[in-house]
Order: sequence, then structure tokens, then C-alpha cells
Amino acid sequence: MIGRPAQLPLDLGHRAAMGADDFLVAPSNEAAVSWLDLWPNWPAPALVIFGPAGCGKTHLAQVWRARTQAPRVEPGELEIDTLPQLLARTSTVVIDNADSGTGDARIERALFHLYNLARESGGHLLLTAESAPAHWGIKLPDLRSRLLAAPAVAVGAPDDALLAAILVKLFADRQVRVGADVVGFLVTHMERSFDAARRLVADLDAAALAARRRITVPLARRVLERS
Amino acid sequence: MSVGGSLDQQWVRVSGRLKEEVGETAYRSWLKPLTIGELKGGEVRITVPTRFMRDWVQTHYADRIRAIWSGENPRVQSVDIVVAQARLDVGASANDDADIVESPMPSDEIEEERPTSGAQLGIDGRDEHFAHLDPRFTFENFVVGKPNELAHAAARRVTDAATVTFNPLFLYGGVGLGKTHLMHAIAWQIRKKDPNRRVLYLSAEKFMYQFIRALRFKDTMAFKEQFRSVDVLMIDDVQFISGKDSTQEEFFHTFNALVDQNRQVVISADKSPSDLEGMEERLRSRLGWGLVADIHPTTYELRLGILQAKAESMNVQINSKVLEFLAHKITSNVRELEGALNRIVAHAELVGRAITLESTQEVLHDLLRANDRRVTIDEIQKKVAEHYNIRLADMHSARRARAVARPRQVAMYLAKQLTARSLPEIGRKFGGRDHTTVMHAVRKVEELKTSDQSFAEDVELLRRMLEG
Repeated sequence: MIGRPAQLPLDLGHRAAMGADDFLVAPSNEAAVSWLDLWPNWPAPALVIFGPAGCGKTHLAQVWRARTQAPRVEPGELEIDTLPQLLARTSTVVIDNADSGTGDARIERALFHLYNLARESGGHLLLTAESAPAHWGIKLPDLRSRLLAAPAVAVGAPDDALLAAILVKLFADRQVRVGADVVGFLVTHMERSFDAARRLVADLDAAALAARRRITVPLARRVLERS
Repeated sequence: MSVGGSLDQQWVRVSGRLKEEVGETAYRSWLKPLTIGELKGGEVRITVPTRFMRDWVQTHYADRIRAIWSGENPRVQSVDIVVAQARLDVGASANDDADIVESPMPSDEIEEERPTSGAQLGIDGRDEHFAHLDPRFTFENFVVGKPNELAHAAARRVTDAATVTFNPLFLYGGVGLGKTHLMHAIAWQIRKKDPNRRVLYLSAEKFMYQFIRALRFKDTMAFKEQFRSVDVLMIDDVQFISGKDSTQEEFFHTFNALVDQNRQVVISADKSPSDLEGMEERLRSRLGWGLVADIHPTTYELRLGILQAKAESMNVQINSKVLEFLAHKITSNVRELEGALNRIVAHAELVGRAITLESTQEVLHDLLRANDRRVTIDEIQKKVAEHYNIRLADMHSARRARAVARPRQVAMYLAKQLTARSLPEIGRKFGGRDHTTVMHAVRKVEELKTSDQSFAEDVELLRRMLEG
């Protein structure tokens, strides 16, 4: 078929807005938000936020980082010798995918030392993971008991209202406007997670660009069926 | 200027001799930053950047400075060491002395990478050091029971005895059973009894960090000297020193030096001295020379006692049912037990609700739940069918009788609540139904939950069973 060639959509590397003002508080995450608001009056040197992929943990951690200026690391990046420097500036650290190194003796030990240093300096660690520390398979008993004693707060899968708001926000981040009918259709037909929303909005944006059409319910249906 | 030029010129000679006596490193750390003020009434005024430095120089070098200086200039009879005013003002804006002592070197750049100093170690029996100690970890707050009475009595002996009766005191036990609490309690108690005794408490890793840094900056002399001038040395979790040869070696020498001088050493570890892995035999045997006291895992009674004491100290009223539940369920160690209590109290404050058995179970869900598998739609259907005593096949069947239709709706509702599946997908799992059917079911269940209390409880019970 001749005609218009499909336009090649380029991912222009748009960046999702992640300020505190952009944050959407909903029943599924309000407990986590109030814990973050409680900082620095946490009852322990660490707080754990856990929930399924794409429930908004990263976003929550970003909001906290905006307040604390905490550096962000993953467990695999921790080096025992340089832990004091990590805490030196703000006494706070965000550890994303905090369960990703458990079982590895070197990483567990580094995490353990980091926790102790934070405690000694009156600092705080914010850890995020998909499950609670009880399920991380931590081998070092000292680390395990410390993290199990820390408050762990669950972030749930988004409810309909939050999911709708997330979709609108994700579209807005891409400078795209969609009708309420599209959002309503998506909420009732998509997998209900932030991750799915992110993927879906990206796919829809790409499909709309390629087809040079607005995002409509039929287009949304096609994209959903394809995925 | 009758004798030997100006004061500054005299100081050059005095400090030159001191440098020979104390070595390059200590000189650079402690003497070089001194500023000479004026000589007045036989007293030389010397200015130092921080309070901690003043105390340190006062105790360690003031006598020598005076002696050497009066040899240079007989008019000098005493030295007065004071903190530079400008420096104090900077510190005064912070709320305690600890901030002042953090930076004995005037230059921030040097301060950051500075090798071990007494300031960082907090050797003094003064406030600087005690900032690292948890104020809640006192003997008064330590709940004694069968499992920990020996260790507690031994710790008490260390603080009560006028002389060192056993050396070292070696406390060991599993994680989170109260070793650190006892260590801090010893430090607090000693300070209470005699504020002038120099107590140094630090974790094994801190010892290690300081030593590595001292090595890197070729400053091990000051490192040694500082450790060996304390009255009581306490090293927590000594097992973390094991395996690191040079650190172990240094620790061994420090340990011996202190024991030889009849200074009290208190050590904690997760195992008895003979069971410490990766530690040299001579060190292991030396560690077992004094009194070895172990802390056993908690009993139900002790756990309950700890919870009651903790709740009281937090000034919260908690139903005894809740405390008993916690003491029964969280058996691993005291740290996790107290952590759990902290969590439910903080949660109750956050949401402004009373602490009940239900809220406790909900907040501590992740701790109490045996495993973390994700709930599947199949499991939901099975559980709901069992609960309402219908056949599993009816979840997929076309039958519309209320007796099967209602449970099916409940299952759909739970599938939406507990899984991330899309509504069309949920519909397919229920005999190929449409997503609008799922939406209708969800609405219906939400409606019924508000109008029918026992129905709501049923659904809630099912949800909890599936999650837990």
C-alpha cells in the first residue's frame, strides 16, 4: 500500500516531572507519604518503602530527595571504604532496589555498615524494594534484624482515581491532551500499575505520532490489543 | 625581649623540640595549629581553633610546653590554652559542642579528609563522645530476665567496682538481644559516677575505618596514642574486625596495652571468643581471659516485660492483648520487637487512630506474613468458593442464581483489589465474561459493603486470608 509512510517516532527523551507538587497522593500511597513527611522524626535510622513495580516508589523517593538532597545509590554500588563519604554531606541516602544485593556477603556487609554509620551520625536511609525486608533473603543476621526493625510501609497498586490521574499526568508530561473517554477506557482495560501506565502512554504517544492521529478510544483499543 | 627574641621566635624553638619528642604526626595534628598570643604575668596565652583541641592539648602537651618554654625563657611560668573566639562564634550557632569539635583543623578541605583525631573518636568523658551513645540505652531502661541476667550483672560489676576485677568483659549473644544496650549503659553509668574517666565506645567498623584512614595518612602514631590513653575502651561487635589482618593486629596491640595498664576493656560479639571465626588464635584466647557472659534468646515473659517497659517509656497506653500478641509473634529478637512496637505507635499517631489488634496486624503485615507470594486469580476463586461453599466450577459457569452469582462477584472484586490484572483479563478468567460485568460486580460489592455490615466483614476476612 502506497500512501503516507508511517512517520518514524523519535523518543525525544522527555523527562517526567517529579517535584513534590506533581506528586499525587491517593489511598494507595498516603501512608508512605505521611511517613516521608514525618522525617526526620523517624523512630529508626531507616525507612523502607515497598510495593509492586511501578507503584510509584521511585517517585516517592524523589520527593524525599528533593527535601534532603540525599544521594541515590543501588546496593551493588556500595563500597565499604567510601561509605562515610556517602553520608558526609547530608547524612541521608536513598537506596533503590535495596533487595537487589541481598545474599551477596560483600553487599550485605556494606549495607550493614552504612546503616550503622547513619545511626551513629543521626542520619537516615530510605530504602525501596518490591517487597518488605522480611522477604529479601538477607543472610547477615545483624543486617536482617536492623532492617526488620525499621518501619516498612507498603505502597499499593493504584486505585482507579489514582490510575486516571497518573495517565493524565503522564500524557501531560508529553504535552499530549486526551479526552476523558480515553482515560476512562484505559483505566478499565489496562493492567493496573504505574509501570503499565508508563508503557501504555509511551506506546500510545508513539502510535499517535506514527499514524499522525489524535489519541482516541479506537486507537487506544488497538494499542492495548497489540500489547 | 631579654631572652631569646620574640615570643614567636621562642615558640619556633619550643615547638621544634616538642616535634622531636612527639613525632611529626602528632605535631602536625595538635601543635602546628596553635597560635601564640601574649605573655602576661608569667603566663603565655595559646589559642587553639576548637574546644576539643583545647582539652586535648591541655591534658597532653601543656606541661611539656611550659617546661620547655621556661627552659627557654624563665619568665614563662605557665601556659593558658584558650579557644579562638571567631571559631567559637561559628560553633555557637549550632546547638551543641559536638559541632565545634568536629573540625579541629581550621581548613574545611583538610577537615574532610583528615586522618583520625581524638575529636572524631571522642575519647573524652565529655559530651562530645556521648553524642554517639543512645540516651535510651541505660541500665534503668534495661529489662532484666533469665536470659540476660548474667550479662547484666557483669556489666553492673564493671561500673560499680573501684578496681578492674576482670579484663576484658566479653559480652556475646545473637543479634538484637541487647549487647549494645548494655555497652551504652556501662558508658553512661561510668560517666555518671565519674565524669573525668575517659571512656571510649566504638563499633568495630569504626575502629577499622579510623585505622584505615590513619594508615592512608600515615598517622598511625596519633591513632595508637589516642586509643591507649583511655580509661575504659569498649568495642562493639568485634566479629567485624575478624579477617582484616592489619586491623586485627592493631586491635591486638591496643588491647594488650590497655590490659597491661590495668585499664578496663569491654568487648561484645555475636559468638564466644573461642567461636570467633577469622580471628587469630592468640587474640581469641586473650579475649577469653576475663569474664565471658552470654545473652540468651528471649523468653515470652522477658519479651512481654520489655514491651511493657517500652510502652511506658514512650508514654502510650496499649491494650495488653496487643502486647501479648507481639510478644507471642515476634520472637526473633528484642530489636525487631521494639521496632514493631515503634511502628504501630508511629502509625497510630500518623493516622490518628487507637492501637488495636487489627491495626497491629495490618501495620505489621509484612513481618507477620510467612511469605510474600503474589495472590493469583485462581487462588481467589478457590478461596472464595470454599468460603461460600460452592463449586469452583461455578466461578466460570454461566449460572446466575444468587447463591453462585454473589460469591462470583466477590471473587471478581477481590481480583481487582488484590491483583494488577486488567478488567477484561479478570472477565476472561471468570468464564469469558465482559469487562463491564467485572465493573458491575465491583460496584455491586462496594454497594453491599456499605449497606450490609456482615457482608463487609466477610469480604474483609477473605481479603486478609488471601493476603496473609
